[in-house]
This record gives sequence, structure tokens and C-alpha cells, in this order.
Amino acid sequence: MLTKFETKSARVKGLSFHPKRPWILASLHNGVIQLWDYRMCTLIDKFDEHDGPVRGIDFHKQQPLFVSGGDDYKIKVWNYKLRRCLFTLLGHLDYIRTTFFHHEYPWILSASDDQTIRIWNWQSRTCVCVLTGHNHYVMCAQFHPSEDLVVSASLDQTVRVWDISGLRKKNLSPGAVETEVRGISGVDLFGASDAVVKHVLEGHDRGVNWAAFHPSMPLIVSGADDRQVKIWRMNESKAWELDTCRGHYNNVSCAVFHPRQELILSNSEDKSIRVWDMSKRTGVQTFRRDHDRFWVLGAHPNLNLFAAGHDSGMLVFKLERERPAYAVYGNMLYYVKDRFLRQLDFNSSKDTAVMQLRSGSKFPVFSMSYNPAENAVLLCTRATNLENSTYDLYSIPKESDSQNPDAPEGKRSSGLTAVWVARNRFAVLDRMHSLLIKNLKNEIVKKVQVPSCEEIFYAGTGSLLLRDADGVTLFDVQQKRSLATVKIAKVKYVVWSADTSHVALLAKHAIMICNRKLESLCNIHENIRVKSGAWDESGVFIYTTSNHIKYALTSGDHGIIRTLDLPIYVTRVRGNSVYCLDRECRPRVLTIDPTEYRFKLALVNRKYEEVLHMVRNAKLVGQSIIAYLQKKGYPEVALHFVKDEKTRFSLALECGNIEVALEAAKALDERGCWERLGEAALLQGHHQVVEMCYQRTKNFDKLTFLYLITGNLAKLRKMMKIAEIRKDMSGHYQGALYLGDVSERVRILKNCGQKSLAYLTAATHGMDEEAEALKETFDLEKETVPEVDPNAQLLQPPPPINPLDTNWPLLTVSKGFFEGAIAAKGKAGQMAADMDVEAPGGEGWGEDAELQLDEDGFMDAQDALGEEGVAKEEGGGWEVEEDLDLPPELELPGGAGGGPEDGFFVPPTKGMNPTQLWCNNSQLPVDHILAGSFETAMRLLHDQVGVVQFGPYKQLFMQTLSRGRTCFLGLPSLPCLRGNPQRNWKDCGAKQGLPAVGLRLSDLIARLQQCYQLTTAGRFEDAVERFRAILLSVPLLVVDNKQEIAEAQQLITICREYIVGLTMETERKKLPKETLDQQKRLCEMAAYFTHCSLQPVHMVLVLRTALNLFFKLKNFKTAAGFARRLLELGPKPEVAQQTRKILAACEKTLTDTHQLNYDPHNPFDLCAASYTPLYRGRPVEKCPLSGACYCPPYKGQVCRVTQATEIGKDVIGLRVSPLQFR
Amino acid sequence: MAAQQGDVDELFDVKNAYYIGSYQQCINEAQKVKPSTPEKEVERDTFLYRAYIAQRKYAVVMDDIKASSSPELQAVKMFAEYRSNEGKRDAIVAELDKKMAKSVDVANTTFLLMAASIYYHEMNTDAALRTLHQGESLECMAMTIQVLLSLDRVDLARKELKKMQERDEDATLTQLSMAWVNIAVGGEKLQDAYYIFQEMSDKFSPTLLLLNGQAACHMAQNKWEEAEGVLQEALDKDSSHPETLINLIVLTQHLGKAPEVTNRYLSQLKDAHRAHPFLRDYLAKENEFDRLAMQYAPTATV
Repeated sequence: MLTKFETKSARVKGLSFHPKRPWILASLHNGVIQLWDYRMCTLIDKFDEHDGPVRGIDFHKQQPLFVSGGDDYKIKVWNYKLRRCLFTLLGHLDYIRTTFFHHEYPWILSASDDQTIRIWNWQSRTCVCVLTGHNHYVMCAQFHPSEDLVVSASLDQTVRVWDISGLRKKNLSPGAVETEVRGISGVDLFGASDAVVKHVLEGHDRGVNWAAFHPSMPLIVSGADDRQVKIWRMNESKAWELDTCRGHYNNVSCAVFHPRQELILSNSEDKSIRVWDMSKRTGVQTFRRDHDRFWVLGAHPNLNLFAAGHDSGMLVFKLERERPAYAVYGNMLYYVKDRFLRQLDFNSSKDTAVMQLRSGSKFPVFSMSYNPAENAVLLCTRATNLENSTYDLYSIPKESDSQNPDAPEGKRSSGLTAVWVARNRFAVLDRMHSLLIKNLKNEIVKKVQVPSCEEIFYAGTGSLLLRDADGVTLFDVQQKRSLATVKIAKVKYVVWSADTSHVALLAKHAIMICNRKLESLCNIHENIRVKSGAWDESGVFIYTTSNHIKYALTSGDHGIIRTLDLPIYVTRVRGNSVYCLDRECRPRVLTIDPTEYRFKLALVNRKYEEVLHMVRNAKLVGQSIIAYLQKKGYPEVALHFVKDEKTRFSLALECGNIEVALEAAKALDERGCWERLGEAALLQGHHQVVEMCYQRTKNFDKLTFLYLITGNLAKLRKMMKIAEIRKDMSGHYQGALYLGDVSERVRILKNCGQKSLAYLTAATHGMDEEAEALKETFDLEKETVPEVDPNAQLLQPPPPINPLDTNWPLLTVSKGFFEGAIAAKGKAGQMAADMDVEAPGGEGWGEDAELQLDEDGFMDAQDALGEEGVAKEEGGGWEVEEDLDLPPELELPGGAGGGPEDGFFVPPTKGMNPTQLWCNNSQLPVDHILAGSFETAMRLLHDQVGVVQFGPYKQLFMQTLSRGRTCFLGLPSLPCLRGNPQRNWKDCGAKQGLPAVGLRLSDLIARLQQCYQLTTAGRFEDAVERFRAILLSVPLLVVDNKQEIAEAQQLITICREYIVGLTMETERKKLPKETLDQQKRLCEMAAYFTHCSLQPVHMVLVLRTALNLFFKLKNFKTAAGFARRLLELGPKPEVAQQTRKILAACEKTLTDTHQLNYDPHNPFDLCAASYTPLYRGRPVEKCPLSGACYCPPYKGQVCRVTQATEIGKDVIGLRVSPLQFR
Repeated sequence: MAAQQGDVDELFDVKNAYYIGSYQQCINEAQKVKPSTPEKEVERDTFLYRAYIAQRKYAVVMDDIKASSSPELQAVKMFAEYRSNEGKRDAIVAELDKKMAKSVDVANTTFLLMAASIYYHEMNTDAALRTLHQGESLECMAMTIQVLLSLDRVDLARKELKKMQERDEDATLTQLSMAWVNIAVGGEKLQDAYYIFQEMSDKFSPTLLLLNGQAACHMAQNKWEEAEGVLQEALDKDSSHPETLINLIVLTQHLGKAPEVTNRYLSQLKDAHRAHPFLRDYLAKENEFDRLAMQYAPTATV
């Protein structure tokens, strides 16, 4: 039994769950009714109007109402929204024991010590029926959940079932008029027909305290002072006692059916709650309290929750855990549902049952540990008595039918918890709380002494987290020692991040996030139960409490993401989706708004671009965010959110952003703002802003002083004028003083009647005229002309060297990202737009590129055509030669010298290396090269394709050899070990191995493209080199089917044609062209070239060359032939146009001027050595590999195409597939 | 296992770091740890100096170890001298032969290991095995397995491994040895080998040794793309690590990359590790090729 919530109060006599909200009503012996939220664990309301104990209490199923009945004989109907009693039903003459609403009709059923049961209509607020018959207190009366029945229990030792269908017909059938029931007298008259006793159940030996219907079956349970719980069965005609549950040793107060399971719950004054198995009539669980007698039980109509009231409060509990056992690996969720292990693929949402679990335990699976390497699971089952807990080790079948999955035999052992610690090891915490390490056969490999430990959790390979009373310890199983400990009480679950860099420890009301070394990063306290959690991709921990999905950053920031109606168990978080299991074990996906925590995460990680993006695009406004930013020291970020100018202003000042502050101040235009801005700007030496502030605030003194210190004399003078206008004498004078304007000073002094001062000033400054004039105004009788101090010095302010126009120089501080961003705000918008415009363009490019690929890159070639003619004429780069590294001679290390033989130790002989097997298993040359057996490889190449000159093969041999063996390090400082990748590694066994080839036909074909491009670019030498490399590589292929064999042969043909053609063309360009014969030879060769099988794009080029040469030679007839062939290939419009012109010119005189050794109509092969046509029927020798043709005299020489094979050699033929040996 | 049972090996971190190829960490740990007994102190020092040797810092070892140091450390010094100076190798081996001919202190495991290492480098596997046969430590067994594998005696290696497993199945060395044997056995065992390397990378740190092990497993299973990721990681850690380069030479070809890419790695290897056995073999093969090629010629010359 799991207690979810407890209260302390006076004796609880009545309980009622709210059907939807997490609320429960408790009616107390002291007259108070309490409304609790059992999830938040808070008291929501108190209703204190009853006088004396309140025993009956019931929520209405739909309306915001509840009914209560007390020892004050009153039935009260309350509205909890209005928080008051709506009305009181009076009628009972003694204590009221129970009050219940009907689930459908507007009725209330009450049972009373006045020996009656009454039915009230709470709409008309009248008593509609009185059920009499019991001859002692009626302790309980309840409606049937679906039928027109009432069950009642009384201290007269009977349980009665009443039929109230009459009442329903009378009152609620259509058209029926509400019966007038006036007082009890009326009921006496008609009541008998309204409600009749159907069954009287006798069997209890003492008074019956409680009776209740089964929610679906025709059963009744009752509890009585004879300490028994009885089960009764009824049908239409009779009712009989079915069974008795004995065990309580004091009065049974209450007994109810479990709403969904075959269980009965009862509680008693013997201070216990007992759970009984209905079918076996045996006690399943007992829960005892030390001092409190139990009085009442309540069952939640929908959830797996119960409540029990006792002498000093009540408790809300459930019988078993509802948490599904699950494990997540990669994209897979494994979970247990209804005796099946199911697998959910997060990506495809495919949910399949993979395995049926062995039955036999009455307890649900408590936890699961999954091992991806072995595809095995450990399922732990926890019994009420912990010592009886067991675990099962299952190997998940590879293939399974979801409809009817296999039930593989598992291995069961006792143990509290079992978790994987390595690919082939798991740890078991046994009931003695010691740690066993077991292997896949469930055999103990070793025992590990651990510090006191109540529970173990996974902690990566080779490690465990051990929980003891007040902390969690990271324990290395291999080293058998503790690595780190962290204090946190009662951790229940542990959630590792995907890369195991962080771990979240979940306790009942707390979360601690630690790093891999179990150093605490943050602690979060929750008032509500923490349920589950998962790490999202970005390293934010998403967790659920009973009613919220929340997030936590490793820095400790946490907050609510959304609310939940019912608890869920998070399995994975990805993007906006939270994958979870609910209490019915259904996988669900909830959508969340991750903006807030992403934002905070970006801030913490200083990814300001991201922050800014979110600020601009997400709806992230709100005081909380601004306050958060301000608190966390990011006022500049907060600035982005603030629309309110006042806040904006103060934020800008806070982060010293004068520009923004100025903007805001302009908008606000308040004196206070300008003053504050002025101060801030002055501190930064931003005197232009200071000036503006002083101007706005009309602070003339400060302004004047500012002009003085900035040396702005013009403005200073202006200020003086202003002071004059304002009649601010002292200001005026001060200005004059600052300016050193003596005459002005004199004037001021004179005007304000300070004649003597004016005189002195004038005199001292040598303004004699002025002084004289002043002197005359003195009335010598009354006044004395002051003496001029002969030592007086001129009081002149130093003139400014340079007026300061610019602001004070500021240190070039790199502008914070956000300040810059604010400045660039306007521009950024444009840029974004630009990018949008460009985006489709990008796609267009993509399409083009694809097009090129489709046409094998010829688009490219055609584009470049115009220039190529020229390039070709020039012959391209010539000098490139294959540079072969000729390594210095090195001596082989000396062979292993045999030491003296020991008597007892005989060193083993060398074993069979896989590479030797490769040679034995294959007749393909490449396998022998990979095996390092050059000798046999050469022989094979010689015999198969007639290679006699291996020079060109050296590079290929060495490369091939170097990919034959991998290496890995054994012990440090020792030569490495070698691995031998094999192509048939899966099923070759020890003897049938063949090396992984590493050369693919497709790669060779792909390399053709490069050669074509070189050809197009006119770099014939390079192209030939590459074609030859491809050609020579073909015998080193291994292919699987006939089609590929044909393709390999075709590849050889292509290479050969190009090599022959291109070598001839290179040769042709080297020939002299002075004489006619020489020119004729050139033309012939050009003509032969057009008979090599080339790609159309190249053929166009070749034909154009031939056409031009023949036209120049005035062999118009043949030229016309070339022109027509050229046009057939569909060249580019310009080329076509030009060709047509030439063709037209040729057709005027359709003759050949010169006789050439070229007959376009007579098919021929071209001798690759002499470049002469070998017309059909003439003897010909061929190269065994390339198939190039030669005149017979060349037999026995090295093929010009391959430069490796012997012309006309008798060979087996190309062998590139094991198929060719069958 | 009996010896280890109960008490914690105080040098675990030092040894473990060394075996998985995390040499700097080994050195750091060795400098941190405070051994409880003089024997442990010597043991710690052997690992400390061996880690320096693995980092090719031979001078440190040769300077630090004095003539008065313990015989274990003398053995380490001998190995350092052998590794550092190509010219003196023959002399060192000759001296070692002499020592081995006399009776050897079998308890000095370090000496046995160092002697066997020298013999192994000399390709004298018989002598190496004979030396190792006298030792009983897990490392001796692991080295025996390595020598046997290099002789392609997988059958014997498995037997030796079984003995190791009986001693302590979960020890790092046993696990590593198991991985080597698994690679040699091939087939389904390759995945097991991979898991061993991967588990250790996860648990401790992904060292070059472990990464190349993973790569070898991947490549043996023809999982070239996966191997590329692992080797790239290794290359990022040390761009001139010979084994990584060799594996990249293998890998780039199997991935169908242009021959230039492969040649680049080969040139890097030639630059930095001219004496590496791979290159020795490579050059020998080139010579062999030239020699063999001379046996062929066209019937007619131009």
C-alpha cells in the first residue's frame, strides 16, 4: 500500500472523492468539513456550519455541489464554488449517518438513527420518500450505481435491499407530476408502494455498520460489529450470503469493493485496513496504524485511489504502483504492459509486442534494465515483503509476431534489483543487501562488498549508483570501490543523459543534477511529487511532477512548461515532443513549447545569435522574462523584449547603452529621464547627449559650464545672451567671466548698479575710456571712487586650444553581441529578406547540378566547347609524368633466431595466417595481392590477361597490399597486431575467408567521368594516364554477377577506345605538316579518330577537327560525310550552323581532291601501334587484356594501350568473379 | 581474483590508464597516488616510466632511473635504451640473452615483461614466449596472447585467454585480450570485440588505442562508414599516430576515395615513422615486386 497523502485533524467520519479534480472531502467529528487537494497536499476550504459530528458527505458527480449530514439532524447541500451552504433539509429526527447523491436523479439518500432512510429531491428541496423497516439505527444507505435499488445496513443486524423503481416511475417518468409529500404522514400512506424492501440479508450476529453494492456485479459487501466482512449475492428473486472474510478483531467500520479489481477493502476499529481477495476470501494485505481506529473508507470512482478516515485524520492511498516499467535505448522504448514486453519505435511510432512474460508473480514489474548489445532485459518484481522480490532475465527473441509473441524461458532469481553493468554482466542487489555480479547465464561471477545500500541504479559501464539512507554513491564494480558520493535523501529514480555526461537523481520532492563524476550541479526542490524525467538533445532535463511538465537546466534554472491532468512518465524528449507513458501504459506524445528553456539555455551557453533569433521570432514577451534577464545580468537582452519605454529607458541605462536610452528618453520626454540620462552620459563623456539633456531640462548653469569645459565659446556666448534675456544677472556675469569678455562684465556691473565694481573692472583692464565715463557718474559727494589696485592682475580664462566637438574618446570595447544587434536591427530585416529571395535561386542551382549528374557531366563539357578547339590545338600540358616513389633499398629484418630450447616449454610453431587461406581460397589476382603473395598474383595476371611487364602495376599492387590489413594496438610499446578484413566475414568460418577487396566497379566507373573531363579539356596525356589506370585496375576487381562481369569488360572497351584515339591524336599533333604527304597522313589519322567509340560530346570535337582538316585539304566529299555525322549528333546551335555552312560549301563540289587511305564505308579496326586501318578479313593480333588490335608484325610486343600485356598472347581470359571458375 | 578480492588495488587508475593507452593520464595518476608500501611505490614507478616509454620520451626514463634503482626499474631502463637507440639494440639483446641463460628472478615480473617486449620487437617470438611463460601476472598472459596472435595461433591464444578469465574475467587486461582474440576469431565475435573497446571508451576515455581497436572491428565487419567516424576522432587526437594512419590508408581505399588521399596518409607515415614495421614490410614488398617483375618480359621487343 502506498500512502499518497495524510492529514491530521479530528476524527474523520465521512469521505468523498471528487470524480474529476484531485480533491477529497473529509467530514469531521468536530463539525468541520474539510476540502483537500490531495495532489498539491493543501487544504482548499473549510465548511463549518454543522453542530456536532458530520458523518455523511458526498460530492455531486456533475454539479459543483456536495451534501453533508450531521448529528444536528440536518442535511446540508453546499456549493463549493460559492463556498456556502445553499440550503438545509430538515426532517430526520436523530443523527444522520450517511448522505449520498443519486448518480442521475436529483435525489439525496440519507440514513439516520431515527431508523428511517429518506430520499430527498434537492431541486424541489423536499423529502420524496421515507423508507421504513429497520428497527434500529440505520448506519448506511447507498444507491445502486445503475439500477433502482438501495442497500442499507442497520444495527438491527440486517442488510436490506430496497426497490425504488416505483418512486422513479412516479416521480420521474415523463409527464409525472412531482408527488406532494407532506410530512411523514403522507409517506406513511403512499411510501410503501414507492419503495419496497426487496431482500433482507440476515447473517451478521451484531449490528451492521456498512453495506455497499458492487459496481457491476450483483454483489453486496457488508461490514459489521461481529468483526466480519460478508459478501452477498442477489438475483431478481432472492439474495444469499456468499462468503465471510474473517480477520478483523474489532468492529468493522466500513467495507467497499475495489472498483476495478477482484478485491475488497475493509477497515475497522482494530486500527487496520485489510485487503481481501474476492475469489479466494483471503486477506491479501493488511495495513495497521498504531493508535487510530478506522471509521470510514472511500474509493475514487475512476482512479486507483482510496481514502480512509481514522481517529486523528485521514489518508489517501493506493494499493499498488502504477508506474510502468520501461527502458529507453536509442529510438526504442521498451515497456511492460499486460504481461507483454512491448517495443515502441519513436520514429515510426510502431508499437509491437516482442515477448510474452512468464506469469507467476502477482506483483507487477517494478523496473527494467535493457541491454542493447545482447538484446536482453532484466525485469525486477518487488513483493510486499521486499525479501521475496525477484528478477527475471530474458533474452528478447529476434523475430516475433506482434499478435502472438513468443514467451521465451527467462531465468528467475531472487533479488531486490538487477541492472546491467556491462555488455555481459549485471549486478543484483540481493535481499541481504550485498551486491552480486552475474553473467548472462545468471551465474554469480563475483560478490562485491558494498557500503550499506538499499537500492542500485545504472551508472554506465562498470559502475553503479548505490543508494543508502542519505545519499547516493558512485561505485566502480570492477575496482570495488566508491568513486564519489553525493548527499540526497531517498533517490527513487536515476536518469542519465544520452552521452552519460549528466545524471538526474529524482527523489520524492527533489531533483539533483550531477555530472559524470557525481558532482552536484544543482538542486531543485518541488512541493509536489517528482514523477519522471528525460534529457532532451540539447542537455535540458525535462521532468514531470504530478501535475506539471517542467524543465531544469544544469545551471539550476527551472520552470514550468505546461500543466498535466494526470501523472505521466516521460520516456523521451525530442524537439517539441514529449514521449511518455500514461498510467494505463499507453504511449503518448505531448507537445510542449520549448522556447523558454531553449532561450535560457542559449543564454547560459552564450549562443547569442540563437537568443536574438528567439527574441525576434518567438513570442517570448512577459514581465517574468524581463525580470529574469535583469536578475541574471542580461539587461541588454531584456532590452529586446521591452516595448514599454520607461522600462526600456532604465534597462538601457543599466547596461550603459546611451543611444537606446536617448531614444527612449526622446519618446518619454520627462524631466527626470533627461536628468538621469545626462548623468549617465556625463560619466561616459558623451557630452553631446549631455548637452541635449541639459537643454531639455533647461539646466542653464550646467549647460554653460559644459560649454566652458568643452571650449565651445560660440555656444557659451549664446548662453550668456540667453542669461541676459532671462535677466539672470549672475548667470550673465558668470558667462562673461568665463568668456573673458570684460566690456560685457563692466556693462553688467554697471547695469545692476555696481558702479564701483564696474569702474574697477574697467580700470584694471585698461579700458580707460569706459573707466572715465564711469568715474564721471560717481557723485563724489556721497561716493568715493575706489582705488585701483596697482598690482591687480588680469583675470582672463585661458582660451581653449581646440573646441571639443566630438565625444570623449572611449576605449574600444568590443561591442556586446546584443548592442550590435540592436544597432543592426533595421538592416538585419533587410538581410533576412534578401536571403529569402536568394533561397529559390539556390534550389535552381541544385537542379542544374542534378541535371549535370544525370547526363554524366556532359553539360559541362558542351559549355566549354568553344574554347576547347583552341586548347586542343595547343596540345595541353604535356610534362606530367607519373612520379613513382623509388624507395631506398632496405634490408629485411633478420628472421627470428631460435633460442636454446627449454626442457619444459616448447614454443608453438607459426599458425596459418588468414592471408595464406585467402590465396588458397581464390584464383582472383586481387585476393593474392591483398594476401601479399605477389608471386602468385603476378602469375595469375600473366596467365589470365597476359601481363608481361609489371611496371605499370607496381603502384596498384602496393596500394592494394596496403589496404589488405588493418592494425590495432595490443599492449603499449609493443608492435601492433594486424586485423584482416574479409568480405565474407559473416559466414566464412575459420577456413573459407576471402579478403575485403576495397575496389568497386562503381568506383572505377565513377572515375571515368574525370577522364572524360580531362579529355574535354584537351589534356590528353593526363586522360590517357587515367584511362590506363582504370583499365589496369579492372583485372583487380571482384564482382558478384554476370552483369557486372559484362560491365567490367565494357569498361575495358571504353578505356581502350579512348586510349587508342587519344594517343593517336597526340601522335598526330607531333607530326610535321610541311609536305602534302604529311598533311595527308594527318588527315588520315584524324579520320581514323572519328572511328573510335567515344562519347558524343567528344565525337563532336573529333568530327569538327576532321571536318576542318578535310575541308582545308579540299577533300569535300569526305568532309561532307563528317559534316553529316556531326549534325546527326546534334551539336550546339552555333556549331551546327557553321557545320551546315561548310556542308553547303562541300556539296557544291562533292569530290575528293586527294586519295587517302581511308574508306568510311568499309569497316575497319585500327592498329594501335601503326595507326593504320585493318579492314575486315585481314589478319589481326589482339591484346589479351584491352582487346586492342594490331597488325601481325607486332605480335609478342607490349600492348601500346595497357603498356603491360603482350600482344597476341594466348591466355585464359579476364577473371574477376568466382562465377567464372564454376 | 583471490589476490584482489576484498582489497582495492590502489594503483588501479595508474595501471588502467596505461593499459588503455591513456599515457598522460597514467603519468598524472602516478604522480598523484600515494602508495602504501615501498613495493607499491616501485610498481607505480614502473608504470610511470613505461608510460613515458609509450610516449617515446626515452630520455626521461634513462635519466631518471639510476644504477641504484630497483631491479624492476632497471628492466624498464633496459627497454627504454633498447627502444631509443637503434644502434645499441644488438648489444642489448646479446646481454639480455646472457641474462636469460642464467637463472632469472621469476618474481620480477617487470623484467620478464621487458625482456619479452624486446624479444617481440626482435621478432624472436620463441624467446618472448619462453620468457613470458615464467611469469604469472595477468600482463604476462596478455602479452603471451598478443605474441600468439601475431603467430596466428588463435587456438593457443584462446586457451591462454581462458586462463586469464579464470583469474579475473573483468580485469581491463582480460577484457582487452578478449577483444584481440575476438578480432582474430572474426565472425560474430567482432561485434563483441567492438563492444569491449567501446565500453572502455565510454567508461574511461576514448584513447587512440581504443579507437583504433574499434576501427579494426568496424573494418573487419566491412562497416567502412562507421570506421571513418572513429578514425577521424582518432586523427583529431593525434594527426601522426602511425596505427591511425595505417588504418586510414586501408579505409580511404575501401571508401573509394581518390588514390591521392591514400597516398597523403602514406607519405605522412613515411615522414614520421620510417621505422614502423608496416613501412618495413611495405618497402620489402616493393623490392620483392621489382625482383619478381624482372622474371617477366615480352616475347618480342620493339
